[in-house]
Amino acid sequence: MKALFRFLYELIGAPQPPADTPVYRDVIFPNLGLLNLGISLGLVVVFYLLINRAMGVATFNKGRHWAIFLGLNALIAFIVTIWQTNAQQVTDHSYIYWLATWNAILGMFWFFLFSVLLKRASTNASTTPF
Amino acid sequence: MRYPTSFSRLLPTLGLTLLLLPGCYSRSDMKGEDATTEKPTAEMPDAVRPTEAPGVEAPEEASDVVSSVAVQPLQAVNVFLEVSGSMEGFMPKTGASGENTRFQQHVAQLLSEINRTPASRKKAFFRIKEKPYADTYQGISGTVRSGIQQPAKSTDLPAVLDTLMTRYYQPGTVSVLISDFIYSPKNAGAIPYIKTDITDALQRNGAQPDLAVSVYGYTSDFRGTYYPALKAAGKKTNCCDTEIPYYIWVLGPAAAVRQFDAALLEQQPAKQAHFGVMYPRPAYSLLSKYQNKGSWYYGDAGASKRSADAYRVVAVSEASAQQPVEFVVGLNLGQLPGQYRDVAYLMQNLTLQGVDTDAKLLDVQAASAQTKASSGPESKFTHFAKIRLTKAPKAARPLVLRLQDQRPAWVAQWTTRNDGTPAAKTFALSSLLDGLEPQAAGEKRPVFELPLTVQPAE
Repeated sequence: MKALFRFLYELIGAPQPPADTPVYRDVIFPNLGLLNLGISLGLVVVFYLLINRAMGVATFNKGRHWAIFLGLNALIAFIVTIWQTNAQQVTDHSYIYWLATWNAILGMFWFFLFSVLLKRASTNASTTPF
Repeated sequence: MRYPTSFSRLLPTLGLTLLLLPGCYSRSDMKGEDATTEKPTAEMPDAVRPTEAPGVEAPEEASDVVSSVAVQPLQAVNVFLEVSGSMEGFMPKTGASGENTRFQQHVAQLLSEINRTPASRKKAFFRIKEKPYADTYQGISGTVRSGIQQPAKSTDLPAVLDTLMTRYYQPGTVSVLISDFIYSPKNAGAIPYIKTDITDALQRNGAQPDLAVSVYGYTSDFRGTYYPALKAAGKKTNCCDTEIPYYIWVLGPAAAVRQFDAALLEQQPAKQAHFGVMYPRPAYSLLSKYQNKGSWYYGDAGASKRSADAYRVVAVSEASAQQPVEFVVGLNLGQLPGQYRDVAYLMQNLTLQGVDTDAKLLDVQAASAQTKASSGPESKFTHFAKIRLTKAPKAARPLVLRLQDQRPAWVAQWTTRNDGTPAAKTFALSSLLDGLEPQAAGEKRPVFELPLTVQPAE
């Protein structure tokens, strides 16, 4: 799992500054990866299973509503990265924002993936986004 | 569906973003990295290629000084004050105006400290004439303050050392010998054998393998008769305008000598030299955020844990002549004697030995007020050794920081071959100290060896 997250997050290059590499690899990447998966899954569940099934809301099942959640997911992923890096007291570096952006993109990817997997379980939005 | 197109419009945008954003990073950053890695490897001059250094021990084999020191607490201190005629000038009878010599001031103070110290339970005081005579603290202190009552004619240094070794050398016990160490051989023909005489006296049957001697040198004003080692020069009465050296030798098992030195003599502004004393390996660690340069990080397992207090592995991502890697090793030399903490000494005698690497020791610094006040790990260290390398290692390679045990320069400066004219020098001092070197001559054991590892980044 650690190796997978390390691979995913080092697609954008090695952590900077280099001195913080162990903290990123051992702590921040696994934290981010797991949080990101959890948050994406949670939002997908909220959209398909809570709003569009359990609550039976009939007017929140369109592509743009799905996109709102996608954007929300990206925003949360970005903020989570900033929070995690601050919590681990790594040196300030522009890399943090690149990482946050990449994490947001990964978050959107997970969100999309979980959407595809879970949309059939929804009653009102089983064809959202397509 | 009312908005079938809204998502189909979004999808390409999303895909494009996915493709572009990581691309942005890698292009702008990788370009910079490529520029720095490829050019240097092509242009790297032969001079910066590492020289082969075979025969370096792996870090595991580096001797761990701590383990070889049997830790026995200091139990007893025997103080020996030489009271031969040549010492009279250090301890003149108190003059009318009550002035004393620096020897009297210092030794009276030291005796008092030894008598009061909690470092050792038993203390005994002796006067040395032809042989040691038991005395009391009051008696010895009185002798120092008000002069020698019945000076001995002369004391033979090897005989004194022999007595100390055979009668007072015990585990946990140190002998403190206070003397001017003017050793006059019986005739001029014996002068070349001073070293041998001293060694013989100290190691009669090789029964004391852990014998250690610390030598502290002082100078004092001198009022009395001066007896040079070379008797032909004749004694000088009403000596002297110059200062005359005197010494304190601490003899005993290595661990006891180290403890005594640390407890009582370390604070004193003396010249010092140590023979056979072994010190625990100082605490040391790499510092990744103190004057660090280039792409490297802690390669230790669990390096991210903040509880870890020592890092020993440098993982180098890339290094070149243009972008060298520089890292600092923090050393806590607080337990070592002042001689080895001196930055000038460290600069000369701290060496770095590695295999298949061009790592070089750049600089040694003492802790500053800034590092001491820092919230980072550098606040724990007294000295910092900065190391630079310009070539990334191919595999894990050992690197050893070693402090050579070099005889300090003052010994040569305080040595004279002819002490007919009183001066702040002692006859054949270096020969005397030669006799203190361990039998296994040749390579002296280093004060400490600190293994590190350099490895390529994973």
